[in-house]
Amino acid sequence: MQSEHYNTGLKKSIFFLLALLFTASLTVNAQNIRVAAAANLQPVMEVLQKDFKQKTGITIDVIIGSSGKLVAQISNGAPFDVFLSADMTFPETLFKNGLAKEKPVVYASGSLIICSTQNIGFENWERLLLSARIKKIAIANPAIAPYGKAAEQSLRDKGILDDAKSKAVYGESISQVNTYITTGVADIGFTTQSLVKELGNKTPLFYMVVDPKTYDPILQGIVILKHGATNPAAEKFYRYILSPAAKSIFKAYGYRVQ
Amino acid sequence: MDLSPIWLTLKLAGISTLLLLLIGLPFAWWLSRGRSFIKIVAEAIITMPLVLPPSVLGFYLLLAFSPQHGLGKWLHDTFDVQLVFSFPGLVLASVIYSMPFMVGPVKSALQQLPVSLAEASYTLGKTEWQTFRYVLLPNIKPSLLTAAVLTFAHTLGEFGVVLMIGGNIPGVTRLASIAVYDSVEKMDYASANNYSLILFSITFILVIAVFIFNKYQAKGPLA
Repeated sequence: MQSEHYNTGLKKSIFFLLALLFTASLTVNAQNIRVAAAANLQPVMEVLQKDFKQKTGITIDVIIGSSGKLVAQISNGAPFDVFLSADMTFPETLFKNGLAKEKPVVYASGSLIICSTQNIGFENWERLLLSARIKKIAIANPAIAPYGKAAEQSLRDKGILDDAKSKAVYGESISQVNTYITTGVADIGFTTQSLVKELGNKTPLFYMVVDPKTYDPILQGIVILKHGATNPAAEKFYRYILSPAAKSIFKAYGYRVQ
Repeated sequence: MDLSPIWLTLKLAGISTLLLLLIGLPFAWWLSRGRSFIKIVAEAIITMPLVLPPSVLGFYLLLAFSPQHGLGKWLHDTFDVQLVFSFPGLVLASVIYSMPFMVGPVKSALQQLPVSLAEASYTLGKTEWQTFRYVLLPNIKPSLLTAAVLTFAHTLGEFGVVLMIGGNIPGVTRLASIAVYDSVEKMDYASANNYSLILFSITFILVIAVFIFNKYQAKGPLA
């Protein structure tokens, strides 16, 4: 008698657990998406996340990393639904390899700034970089980070690339460059304008927008990934990013939008 | 294929191991003699790199060496030394990071020596230092070698700390482990594989050598 009673209890609780797991997995699929976003988007992503949640009730998990690292992870089966890159080449590669739903579309273009915690006068920054005052210049790794590539182009345009290289320290992504700038371990660095916006008055930063004519435009592309192809929430988020509401947020963070 | 990250890694491991022999041996000797609260705390502190994520060490080193305040500022203003983004900075990080691999085995080996050995030496009029140098150390040769080789191998595997404070400067702080990470991010899997294979081969040979050597010494691999 006792054991039978115990058995039904056990069966009931197992059934209950399974039901719980099943409903849990349902809610995850319906209302949660994973968005892989390039490091330069970290500040603006938090605002977009909140705004999107307010408009649709959908929660986004954001995975921040350098575009190159994220593409390597996606290529090896990372379960991300949408990818916001720092360039167009990486998402195009994904599309070519059948890992993205459609060709990438530009959602914003980034603006490069030169930035420091010290007020050292940027009017003539190319001369400043060569002066003895500046010992370390933080640059995102040009091979994997579009903002690093832009910084190198700009230095080449000014004719000081080789001299600057001898002082360069390379961050694995723009986030690490931001760390190097804000902690002051590097005297100066090339980063994205959204950093200044994010820190507001917390850390006083001095900066100057680098002349956009000195580097190729940093066109940033978005794709829905294979993993999110059948997920309506991923589609919703994609449309949201290209909507006027999101565009005005990007604008406020120093990005250029069409 | 650029081999400089491999040479740089071997150089770092070599220098760190030599420094740890100089610092770690006297320290292990001090720890091996008796127990006090201070010794327990000291041993706990040097054991921390075994259990803490390397990023924690990297983070604190980054703060400590920032030329804008505190220790980093003092070093910068007094000696014009900047430890972040420099090879000496990596050496310092490695010494902290691999300390337990040097001190641990040497300390236990010293503790296993019969007390009469040191006592005999003292009664023959030898000083503490002479006893340590000419009596104790020669008696723990196998453990010394094991500790040195493992320290060297462990330093080859450094990654988190270097990623935080290295700055990936070719020929200065771009180690093999960082080169692997970089190559993967560039989706250059061929280079990543080359660096990885070289690292794997070197460390595997070292570990196997230690095991074989210890088998002949009739001891466990970490004794």
